[in-house]
Amino acid sequence: MATPTITRPEWSTVIDPVLQKELEQHVLVTNWDKLLGMVDTVYNWGRRSSLWPLGFGLACCAIEMICTASSRFDIARFGAEVFRGSPRQADVMIVSGTVTKTMMPMIARLYDQMPEPKYVISMGACATGGGPFKEGYNVVSGIDKYLPVDVYIPGCPPTPQALLNGLIMLQKKIDGEKLDIPLLGKHGNTPWYRTELDRDIPVPVLGPDLIDLRTVEIAAEKTAQGLLDAREATLTHPPKIAAPQRESATPEPAEPAKPAAKGAKKVKRAEARPSIVWLGNEGLSALAERLNAKFGAETATIIQAGLLIPADKLLVVARYLRDENSIRYDYLASLQSVHYEDCIEVNYQLDSSSKPGSLIELRVRTAEAEGEGEVPSVVGIWRGADFQEREVYDMMGVRFTGHPELARILMWDGFAYYPLRKDYLEPYYEGPSKVFDSRVEEGFGRHFRAEEVNPYGTNMKIPRDFKDWAKLDAAEDTKGLGLLPSGVNVSELDTDQFIISMGPQHPSTHGVFRMNLRVDGETIIGLKPVMGYMHRNHEKIGERNTFLMNFPFTDRLDYLTSMGNNFGYALAVEQLMGDDAKPPERAEFIRVIMAELTRVASHMWSIGFLLNDIGAFFTPALYAIEERELILDLFEWASGSRMMCNYYRFGGVAFDLPPGWLERARGIVNDRLDGKIDELDRYLSGNEIVLDRCKGIGVLTAEQALAFSTAGPVLRASGVPYDIRRVAPYSIYSHFTFDVIKGSAGDVYDRYYVRLLEMRESVKILKQALADIPEGPILPGKKSYQIKVPAGEAYSRVENPKGELGYYVVADGGPTAYRYHVRSPSFINLTALEQMCLGHTIADVVGILGSLDIVLGEVDR
Amino acid sequence: MLVVIGILIKILVVVGITQGAVAYMILLERKVAAYSQDRIGPNRCGSNLVLPGGFRLNLPFGLLQPIADGAKMILKEDVIPSYVEKPLYILAPAISIIAAMIGFAVIPFGPVGTQAPSGVNFQIAPGVDIGIVYVFAIGSLAVYGVILGGWASNNKYSFLGGLRSSAQLISYEIPLGMSILGMVLLAGSLDLNTIVNYQDGHGLWLTRWLGLPAWGVFVQPIGCLLFIISAFAETNRLPFDLPEAEQELVGGYHTEYSAMKFGMFFLGEYLHVITVSYLTVILFFGGWDAPFLNQIQSDWFSGLLKALVLLVKVGLMVFFMMWVRWTIPRFRYDQLMDLAWKALIPIALVNLVATAAIVELLRSSH
Repeated sequence: MATPTITRPEWSTVIDPVLQKELEQHVLVTNWDKLLGMVDTVYNWGRRSSLWPLGFGLACCAIEMICTASSRFDIARFGAEVFRGSPRQADVMIVSGTVTKTMMPMIARLYDQMPEPKYVISMGACATGGGPFKEGYNVVSGIDKYLPVDVYIPGCPPTPQALLNGLIMLQKKIDGEKLDIPLLGKHGNTPWYRTELDRDIPVPVLGPDLIDLRTVEIAAEKTAQGLLDAREATLTHPPKIAAPQRESATPEPAEPAKPAAKGAKKVKRAEARPSIVWLGNEGLSALAERLNAKFGAETATIIQAGLLIPADKLLVVARYLRDENSIRYDYLASLQSVHYEDCIEVNYQLDSSSKPGSLIELRVRTAEAEGEGEVPSVVGIWRGADFQEREVYDMMGVRFTGHPELARILMWDGFAYYPLRKDYLEPYYEGPSKVFDSRVEEGFGRHFRAEEVNPYGTNMKIPRDFKDWAKLDAAEDTKGLGLLPSGVNVSELDTDQFIISMGPQHPSTHGVFRMNLRVDGETIIGLKPVMGYMHRNHEKIGERNTFLMNFPFTDRLDYLTSMGNNFGYALAVEQLMGDDAKPPERAEFIRVIMAELTRVASHMWSIGFLLNDIGAFFTPALYAIEERELILDLFEWASGSRMMCNYYRFGGVAFDLPPGWLERARGIVNDRLDGKIDELDRYLSGNEIVLDRCKGIGVLTAEQALAFSTAGPVLRASGVPYDIRRVAPYSIYSHFTFDVIKGSAGDVYDRYYVRLLEMRESVKILKQALADIPEGPILPGKKSYQIKVPAGEAYSRVENPKGELGYYVVADGGPTAYRYHVRSPSFINLTALEQMCLGHTIADVVGILGSLDIVLGEVDR
Repeated sequence: MLVVIGILIKILVVVGITQGAVAYMILLERKVAAYSQDRIGPNRCGSNLVLPGGFRLNLPFGLLQPIADGAKMILKEDVIPSYVEKPLYILAPAISIIAAMIGFAVIPFGPVGTQAPSGVNFQIAPGVDIGIVYVFAIGSLAVYGVILGGWASNNKYSFLGGLRSSAQLISYEIPLGMSILGMVLLAGSLDLNTIVNYQDGHGLWLTRWLGLPAWGVFVQPIGCLLFIISAFAETNRLPFDLPEAEQELVGGYHTEYSAMKFGMFFLGEYLHVITVSYLTVILFFGGWDAPFLNQIQSDWFSGLLKALVLLVKVGLMVFFMMWVRWTIPRFRYDQLMDLAWKALIPIALVNLVATAAIVELLRSSH
């Protein structure tokens, strides 16, 4: 059909403007253009009023996104509450949180799967430009490097109001769109009807780094030129310190690799102790003597209050400590590694369930050179070492001999570096410690972006000898395919098994967690967790941050419990600082109040979403969130932020409580929380379907729970009354009366019920603390931005809502931590996931995962 | 000829009304969800709307939301992934919605038979003796939409959704069918009209003694309970929405469907809800029977009144189904099967035998 030529009548009559206005108001004056324009109006109105978001959340911002859907903010008013799990049915992708390199291929794929017209809202600082995590090696500096973004929402995280405003902005943008109808000679600005335009985004590839296929030639060229190596040669590398030695032999090693400015000063050393509550010096020497007597001299050497064990004797010593020693060390609390100048040290914090609080630290040292370190794996002794050893392998390159499946866990197989080694510099590396020069360049208005310093112009680093450019293939799933669960043959029926990849974008994986499931029908016969989709380099960034600057980053670990995270970090550094940073009593009370409020808020969230996972469509969750909102209001009032409180300081808290705060807190705690917990209890605990779905599912016996190093409600639900507030009391918890709740069956129901009862205990503590809080200062000295932290090593433990949160800090006397490691309960609890899920069905996996209550910010760090 | 035209008009009216009703049921569902979750729900769409010519429209409660959703769905890109089984993939949503719609042919929307006002019949195909059987036969066809959709999508979640629904729907057909047999025995007919007339009548001595109407819910309480439970399963609604279980299977059988194809599944589901609600009301809640109406009235006014009574009852039933959806969690697949085969079917059998015995006793005592 030929294009019809349309002749339009010309309007040439001059009309009196008053009459014109009158006419426009009461008579429908139209012409062809206006008539066609009405198509736009209807078309745009339909889309603006029915923006269905893709139900996927990346990080902290996702929590605020969920809150936007909750009763207080209610995005449903705009018709946008229909969060679709499938990209095929979604209209707008809200990129809520940090975009990591590991996740980027998935996001591009999801975007490609969405039908046109589609929109992207970039929510929060991270999605917009990398935000606080920009310098991380696994962080994409803004989603707009890949996807076309329609609306940017600032904030970290943006409040729900901000997201609503972003939605309104998007609606305004849609209002201005004009359809392309070439057939009628109408031109518009809607590219999606132009078939010649390929709007698909090429899925980037996880090669040695995240590689954008659109610019692969440029990357190859720049790699061949070796520009990055040249740049790194000009930079100050982070110093390496020598590993601590036996005190009598070498009294104080003379800090060889220190920069000249600091080398002259004598470094103050902190008291040597692995944690505040531990076995004690006498007990440790006795233990060392016993070990030496049994396994030969030089088996155990006491170094900085830890036992140095030769690598070849690690397994026998570990087995002795677990099975034969007078205190049975059956609980591996934490495992981490430090890269020293002369060795890589892997150290193990052990505790005992029979005599809790007798923590000891084992050290094993191995070759420093990249890829040469080897340590025997202790997975056979403490199952909980599984993921933690993989993490050390991933980050430091230490091989664990005898580990069943030693593969990268946070990064992907094929990533070119071991990022936590001291000699690895991030692509945007500028200096060993913040504040980087680029941010304080002299004169106002002069600044440059990190992209400009990196030769690739993006957050990328590729080894010079990388040649396999042609082999990069977007269809290959390097992140997840390495770990496919092997099947168990069930030969009752001759059935076929198949593998489902659940996640990282899935409505109930609580973030970007992924499970590779092998199923026979609906029965799980193999499960491998795949994580790292939100690995935002917390620990590496923590080595660049000064001690004080790291507080806001701890907020973003488990973003539901920022106060609790602050608490643990403050304790770790306070342990090093000793009496210089002893919090005054009021500060201790405020800390406990905040931590317990956090626990209530977190458990509320957890219970609500467990119910959501087993199918109660958001209703219990939204009721639980209502209480959480009240608590967040208290946090915002005291600290200035709803979620990312950044409230604790070394030796106290940042601000005193505002007037009226305590009254309101008392009101909420005394009058409201109990009733609300009762309500949850009444409606949920006895519900037939809840019982059917939760009882006997995902059982973890007490022995298994200990062996897997699970912590918090998961461990206690299995019947082990291990609560850090009791076994290794910190702050002023010993002043309060409360019970340590424990379950008996170790199933999903017990984990739910333990959380419910723990909320009651928290309310009990809160009532005492709010009644007794004294007046007084909130910091031992003056507020200060310069903090001197003595050299040494500390491991602090707090009972966070998710379990034992541990911070391992090595300080070298400089302004930043030399090594900073987070023992994250969510991450380690996941070790037990496979054990709990085998033999259950897909529906149960979702419930079991919900009962573990993971937060991906903490799992992947 | 006139009859044919009359039937065609009826079809058009019924299709038009049900489609519109379905659209607004979705809005109602969202409002019910909102109120049960302490929220407001859609309220912007339709308010403060500037029409061409400067007219302003201000509708409350987001009343235009379904129209906006529909407009968007129709204008959305219709993605057919390259890896799907194309003919079946396209056929599945069509089956789903067609099966849901032709079930309406025998559903009486108001008094039929002796109670109907002369010259009008609130039924597209009046006088079908096997009304119930037809509805069930057509209703079971809908499962093909789900199974084919799940299978043709070539997606593992869809596949699992399809598998679940085939097992679930087939299992629940049995208690669903058996639960109404008691009512059929009592009324002595498969004709929906006769069943309503029975409920309008005297009932059993027990209900008479208690002063209750002879509604199915009172003379066949177990059958009624079984029917409602199975109806939830048949319509894939919580706690039995396993084929699409969002928390487990993302979207289940419709994971790969976009735009109006997805919309058709959606409409099919809600149409099914309406059908089932009509059946529940007609079989167990007295149909168009109300205390102030009786069988003899067959004038126009009371005919319309009876249709209205029926409509209100159906509305309440629909509301009940939504209310349940936003209140309780979901069963697991094996529990669902256990419920059907180990509980519902045996109870339905016992109920059937007991009812048959009672009917026989009553008959011989006359």
